[in-house]
Amino acid sequence: MKAYFRLFHQFILRAFARAPLRSAITAVGISLGVGVMIAIRLANAGALESFRAATESIAGETSIQITGAAGRFDEMLMADLAWLREYGQASPVVTGFGQWSAVRGQGSGAGDQGSVDENASTQNQAVDSSEGEFLQVLGVDVLRDRALRRYKLLQLTSEEREVSAREFLLLLTDPRSIVLTEKFANRRRIAIGNRITLMIGDRRQEFIVRGLLADSGPARALDGRVALLDIAAAQVALGCAGFLDRIDVKLRGGVSLEEAEKEIAARLPKGLRVVRPQAAYGQVEKMISAFHFNLNALASIALLVGLFLIYNTVSVSVITRRGETGTLRAIGAGRRMILALFLGEAALLALIGAAVGLGIGRLLANAAVQATATTVETFYIARAATGALERGALGATEMLIAFGVALSLSLIAAALPALEASRVRPIEAMRGAERLARSRRPSRKNIAAAILLMALGYILSRLDAIGGLPIAGYFAALSLILGGAALTPTAIWIVCRASDALSSLRALQAERKMASANLRGSISRISISVAALAVSLAMMTAISIMIASFRDTVSYWIDQTLTADIYAKPVTRTASTADGAINEEAISAIKSNPQVAAIDTFTSLQANYNDNLITVAAGDFSVLLERGRLLFKSPSDAQEEIRKSINADSVLVSESLALRFNKQSGDEIVLPTTQGQHGFRVAAVYYNYSDTRGVAVMDRTTFERYFARLGPSSVSIYLKEGADAETASDEIARATARHQLLFTTSASVRREVLRIFDNTFSITRALELIAITVAALGVISTLIALILERRDEIAVLRFLGATRAQIRRMVVIESVLIGTVSQLIGVVMGLFTSLVLIYVINVQSFGWTIQFHFPVRFLIESTALMIVVTALAGLYPASQAVKVEAVRFAREE
Amino acid sequence: MSIQKSEVRSQKSGAGIVSRVLLCGLCVAIFSMASGKATDQVSQGATVASNSEGWREAIAGYDFSFPRDHASHPEYKIEWWYYTGNLETADGRRIGYQLTFFRTGVAFRPLVESRWAVRDLYIAHFAISDIEREKFHWFERINRAGIGWAGAEANIYRVWNEDWQARLDGGDHLIEAAEGDFKLELRLTPEKKEIVHGENGVSRKGPSVENASHYYSITRFRASGRVMIEGRSFDVTGKSWMDHEFGTSFLGSEQKGWDWFSIQLDDGRELMLFETRRADGSIDPRSSGTLIEKDGSAIHIPFSELKLTPVSVWRSEQSGAQYPIEWKLEVPRFDLSLRIRAAFSDQELITQESAGVAYWEGSVIVEGAGARGRGYLEMTGYAGQSMGAVMGDGVKR
Repeated sequence: MKAYFRLFHQFILRAFARAPLRSAITAVGISLGVGVMIAIRLANAGALESFRAATESIAGETSIQITGAAGRFDEMLMADLAWLREYGQASPVVTGFGQWSAVRGQGSGAGDQGSVDENASTQNQAVDSSEGEFLQVLGVDVLRDRALRRYKLLQLTSEEREVSAREFLLLLTDPRSIVLTEKFANRRRIAIGNRITLMIGDRRQEFIVRGLLADSGPARALDGRVALLDIAAAQVALGCAGFLDRIDVKLRGGVSLEEAEKEIAARLPKGLRVVRPQAAYGQVEKMISAFHFNLNALASIALLVGLFLIYNTVSVSVITRRGETGTLRAIGAGRRMILALFLGEAALLALIGAAVGLGIGRLLANAAVQATATTVETFYIARAATGALERGALGATEMLIAFGVALSLSLIAAALPALEASRVRPIEAMRGAERLARSRRPSRKNIAAAILLMALGYILSRLDAIGGLPIAGYFAALSLILGGAALTPTAIWIVCRASDALSSLRALQAERKMASANLRGSISRISISVAALAVSLAMMTAISIMIASFRDTVSYWIDQTLTADIYAKPVTRTASTADGAINEEAISAIKSNPQVAAIDTFTSLQANYNDNLITVAAGDFSVLLERGRLLFKSPSDAQEEIRKSINADSVLVSESLALRFNKQSGDEIVLPTTQGQHGFRVAAVYYNYSDTRGVAVMDRTTFERYFARLGPSSVSIYLKEGADAETASDEIARATARHQLLFTTSASVRREVLRIFDNTFSITRALELIAITVAALGVISTLIALILERRDEIAVLRFLGATRAQIRRMVVIESVLIGTVSQLIGVVMGLFTSLVLIYVINVQSFGWTIQFHFPVRFLIESTALMIVVTALAGLYPASQAVKVEAVRFAREE
Repeated sequence: MSIQKSEVRSQKSGAGIVSRVLLCGLCVAIFSMASGKATDQVSQGATVASNSEGWREAIAGYDFSFPRDHASHPEYKIEWWYYTGNLETADGRRIGYQLTFFRTGVAFRPLVESRWAVRDLYIAHFAISDIEREKFHWFERINRAGIGWAGAEANIYRVWNEDWQARLDGGDHLIEAAEGDFKLELRLTPEKKEIVHGENGVSRKGPSVENASHYYSITRFRASGRVMIEGRSFDVTGKSWMDHEFGTSFLGSEQKGWDWFSIQLDDGRELMLFETRRADGSIDPRSSGTLIEKDGSAIHIPFSELKLTPVSVWRSEQSGAQYPIEWKLEVPRFDLSLRIRAAFSDQELITQESAGVAYWEGSVIVEGAGARGRGYLEMTGYAGQSMGAVMGDGVKR
């Protein structure tokens, strides 16, 4: 063992020190792969864990929840549930979100109505800024609720006794009373007795802080972002008087959960259902797992490239130390020792890479969380995950994974070259014979393997999603890419031959010939490195094609469907919360504007369909028919279908819903309504890129028959001929200043949608950049290896009269040739892979149809870029090559 | 000493009110009751019937009419219905019970439009004294009206708190309450008419005219029904007592607590008496009693004519309070010399969640020369909290 470490030190570590750049490149490659993987894991686990914790602390001792089958339900349904007492304590709950923002300027009293109008538009702007914090508003009857949730009120406990339920209630009976958490209050410097403003729905509401909750029980949820109101005040604040979100039930001791669940479910009236508090957690988990699966797949590609790099580095190491290896063998080192030395090198690189990768992962996790926040549209997750990341350090699990994955993959990657080194016979190595393979055509085996892999890829791409995840799709993409990689030797041969064939081109003829011959001579050596580069490029190409196609599709969709001139929504309804409705008063104010020709209100609620969250929505179908436009997938005469759907039990479903639940137009979809399960005819399937969960839209009259009366969540405004959208928008905004609505013209909606789109895909772009960086590093290290290997040849060339400039050009040309080969394979494979991404993976995980768009310009640009990058990358190895002196040849011979 | 009849009545009623007011006051004091405010704003002798918050004051001239006045009077801030009784199973097992419904106004006109908006708070206490086994079982409820969880109807007599309720069935009162393995279901048939306390329909209890309430009692019911104790059901018969009082402004007293007795003598008479203990240890001279004759006529017993002496004390381990659970009562004028002792010691309610106080309310056995009977005893202000402080607070706020 001691001997091993001494040898390791002299043989490997010193070599590291001599070629720090090469070792560093490899370590960086590994660390990027590990980093991305860890980042996703952290973000993912953090989000889910915190969500679970939040759900649990909010649920308190609730063992069963009764919810409306279709969102909020009429509270009088609870009046008939007195029998719940047989099972335990039942507490009604209303809940929603409010946006807290620091009061700017001094609080405007009730007196200065006059100034409100002038500030209206600026106020809208101010509130929309991201400075605020979202609070979960919990409205309960504390008289009942204390049995379920332990609120520890900090105030009124001067005598070391907890306040009684009655005292607590009286603290809240004033509808403006609010209780915050100590944590939040401390963070925002809010004291008891202060006034605070919350934006709830489209209204700004003022509350007086009556008490603070200690950091326990429900106050711990969401990092203290919880506000407690009396149920009456909460109903009014959230605009849902007469309705409840759920009834939380704490079973009495001795009552079996399963039996109670079954019995209660059987006794509940239509329109109510029993769930366990954890159910919400499960739904969210489902929702984000698809997204994170996609990220993980990309991370594994980064790791794959890292694996190639390890192979490359150890190969180089084996080649350059061939002589030394021979010497070692000659003086008695066994094969195992040699094997262990080179594997040790790989292990060391892996350890360094993993250590650095953990740090990178920690940083990248924040980016991943941001991406999740905008993609998943869930306040909980965004908030919870940020909280988790603020607290969260790298756990033992993450370390284990990072080191475990990096080490095992590195050892596998290094196994081949290390084995080769161990087989070196002492004499042969010392003689320096049989160094290079002869230039020969690549074997047919590679082509056969390539064909097999691609066929496999094709078959895989035809398979369905597994558990909602496009697992087969990813393997299809992987097979296609590996198939492309298997073609690398052939491709190198062809490209080099092609380069030679340009004999008419006199420029750099000698250098070209030399470079081509060199590459063909080392096909077996460089193939893997070139393949690595090609894989990265293929991924980049595929993702770029997909994003470009997607962007084009969305952009076309927006142009086609955004027919209204102005859109209005409550300020609080952002990408991360789907809460808040528009007041009727505001709607009539909009209607009464002389420039407005028609409005279409859109109401949506989240419903549970087969244990998945979907959106059930209502629109005004007659307005839609007259002025709106949707892009329909089927049937062809959708207009007629919409006409028939007015006031009928039929729905238009989004493509994502149709794909997820396999519904076609003409099918029936059974939705949970306030009157129990009810079947609706699917009238048509329309394209919708703003939602991945699935939307079922029905005419407002139908909606009101089956679902709770809800205020609209957005309004589309159609202006009269000749009206200017900007001015009309300002005018309407002034008229509805009290309601905190956000007005956007269709032009800015378009911008906004594309902005969200680009945000969503920014993380994918980052991954793509990482992949290409890693691969470019690969080219450099490959060429360095080649040059080290060919030092003697270069010396001969120099001896025979080759100038330094010629040598440099030759190396740069080799680099460019490698780049060209990689780009060639990358583009072709990328194209195939993008088809898989668009038509298989995307459809399976998002349920969107993307129209394929061939980005000619991008491909030309990227090829040009590739040539430049590889030419530049070749400069460093070239500078190493020109250092070889002709004397070397003379001395050796 | 001869006292004019009107004075007798008013004194007597004042006494009754004070005791109940104090108990209810426990419930309402912390609710920032506006009794003080009311005193400030209602000028002497004025005909103003409502205080600044809108609650109606109890003023003279109230015309009681039954059964209408059994029902709720939501225009007044405070109201309660109070039933106690001593029952017996077929095989002679003795059971005492208490069932009380409180309504206390919080906001005359709630500011928000929601069924959950709190106008009144409904509190109810239910206790069963299992005398044979010396076990006391008590339960409390506190609810807002909400979606009909609790309430008191204004047109017909029905007051309820979830599944506990009292209502009228013909001339009979039906009361029921249940919690877990305990249940009470009684039909109460009045054996005496309602006795309206006070003068001109109003019973004054404080020095100024607005410190008053409307108050009546039914001192003797024949009770029959079923009681379930620890899951075992019994048919029961026995006697019961009911008090109903409503008003808005109550005396801000500095009393420390009170001892209140309702005694049903076997000879057909009833005796109600109470004494209020002051902070300095003295007994408030407003303390008094009432004797209801067999024919239903009432005779006031002023403080000077009765002598109540604690005989033995029981200490509650839960609250630390020391309750005199045995008393000697002497009323020379009626030649009464009674020993009143708790049927058993621990009949204490610690109503942390609803009223927020500890008090002793239980069945008592009455024995002595000239009369014997059963009754109920209520003792407050022994558990450390000074009632005066609680009430004083309420007044100040």
